[in-house]
Amino acid sequence: MSGLLRARRGAVVVFGLAALTPLVVRDAYFLDSLVLILLWGALSAAWNVAGGYAGQVSIGHASFFGIGAYSAALMVTRFGRGPWLGLLVGVVLSIGAGLIIGVLSNRLKGPYFALSTIAFSQVLLIGVSRWRGFTAGAEGIPVPFRSGFATLGLGHTGWVYMALSVALVCYAVEVYLERSRVGYQLAGVREDEDAAEALGIHTRKLKVGAVALSAALTSICGSLWAQYVGFVDPTYVFSVDLSVRFALNAIIGGMGTALGPFLGSILITSLETYLRATFSNWDARFAGIYLVIYGTALILVVRFVPEGLAGIAARIRMRKAHA
Amino acid sequence: MSDTAPILDLDCVTKRFGGLTAVSGVSLRVAAGEILGIIGPNGAGKTTLFNVISGYYRPESGRILFAGADVTGQPPHAICRLGLTRTFQLVKPFGNLSVIDNVMIGALTRLPTVSSARLEAERVVEMCGLAAHAGGHARTLPIGLRKRLEVARALATRPRLLLLDEVMAGLNPTELAGIVELIRRLHADGLTLIVIEHIMAAMMRLAQRIVVLHHGEAIAEGAPAAITQDRRVVDAYLGEEFVLAQA
Ligand SMILES: Nc1ncnc2c1ncn2[C@@H]1O[C@H](COP(=O)(O)OP(=O)(O)OP(=O)(O)O)[C@@H](O)[C@H]1O
Ligand SMILES: [Mg+2]
Repeated sequence: MSGLLRARRGAVVVFGLAALTPLVVRDAYFLDSLVLILLWGALSAAWNVAGGYAGQVSIGHASFFGIGAYSAALMVTRFGRGPWLGLLVGVVLSIGAGLIIGVLSNRLKGPYFALSTIAFSQVLLIGVSRWRGFTAGAEGIPVPFRSGFATLGLGHTGWVYMALSVALVCYAVEVYLERSRVGYQLAGVREDEDAAEALGIHTRKLKVGAVALSAALTSICGSLWAQYVGFVDPTYVFSVDLSVRFALNAIIGGMGTALGPFLGSILITSLETYLRATFSNWDARFAGIYLVIYGTALILVVRFVPEGLAGIAARIRMRKAHA
Repeated sequence: MSDTAPILDLDCVTKRFGGLTAVSGVSLRVAAGEILGIIGPNGAGKTTLFNVISGYYRPESGRILFAGADVTGQPPHAICRLGLTRTFQLVKPFGNLSVIDNVMIGALTRLPTVSSARLEAERVVEMCGLAAHAGGHARTLPIGLRKRLEVARALATRPRLLLLDEVMAGLNPTELAGIVELIRRLHADGLTLIVIEHIMAAMMRLAQRIVVLHHGEAIAEGAPAAITQDRRVVDAYLGEEFVLAQA
């Protein structure tokens, strides 16, 4: 156990600090940022299961996020039931959608697969926007706040621990994929499908499974996000922007590494929150500034550390070991 | 051929790419414990034949029996699990993984746990002379060792029949001697092999029987010494110089 903790030192620090923060910090704004860092990190970790570990790079993961968000919101507002049941329904629907996308991944490679995932999220966007009678269309749905765990009406501290729990679940899934039999086989699929087949690996089944698992995790985060923010609308939850964010946090942090997505989220989310606060008093022209930051961060990472932020840590460790 | 059932039995197998018939009505049998050589000029259909046998291409017609089971049209992973696997002429290492992990992924096909597969991989890596490179990334290996890695990874799946596609091409004489030695050892341990090779000297030393492919057809079959005397083989593939050199 102590060996595992030492090997996962970075994670212990990141998640440990997150767990301790609410004990000393009461500032709502700060805690809100922390919840978002953890949720976006968890979402990128969920994306990483398909994109990083299985090599199925999707730019349509907002589909699953949106399915989760709407399932929870509609369960509360239309059916008068708890959001947890909505979360569960969302997971089932997202696994279904994940299976469809997974089958696509067996037919289409690389950019064609990525494009088809975008198309999938756009179809959902249009569908949910048009189905006004049920989904309230493009107007979106306000989710009422009812205090309590069963209704997911939590305070800031409660949300930090909720987001931390889901982050730990996603992180644990990633760690499992690094150490387990199926994880190694998935690495083979990612590296070379033909070679993996020759070694007795059912590549299609593994890819579909990874995408479905990734979809389920993404959906869970989406349901929680809907309850946290208290409002869902189709143009946001099914947006390409969101899909790109999931992918970018993971790429900047380190694709196919367990902690990478969280490092990416820490960098990007805190920069974004800080800059938004700073520039909000300025001109409306700066509203989209965070996109510029994304772009810049991505260029810098690709240029200087193609293996992502987690790669920097590995390099430092290597240098120390050699010194 | 012996009277026992063959481990591999191809019955009139044909594979077309559009108008091109890459493998044309090939029938052949391989006895358990045999080393069968396949030779033929570039584009003769040798690799395509391997792709058909190992499940990468479905033949337009014909039937493939492995150890008595009809495997025609089955996916490669299922065929591998039955005990038939192959190496790739254009090597396909898992480049970003270590050599030992490459081999371990092969071993996982027969073994339930990562730890047991790692032990097995260490054994295979040692046997194939890759121990010194076990921890390095596969993409950093020079070509000779990448070919060895192809063999090691395939062996880790514990095949009964192994198809080797030009694992000797591009090797220096020392590497060549090493891999010939390795194949002999595997054969002595009971493995059945089909070997595609352009290097005739190595082929003469290894194969007990040789099939010659030309334009997708099996034009000759026989013991190595007899094959080199065959008029059609000399015309299609070996050339007069070879015959003169042998004499
Ligand atoms: N996937 C494919 N699609 C179309 N044509 C193909 C394909 N694979 C092979 N061919 C063609 O089939 C013929 C046989 O090719 P194959 O690779 O089997 O030859 P080979 O005997 O292995 O040659 P070499 O000694 O050069 O490796 C060639 O004409 C080749 O161009
Ligand atoms: Mg070939």
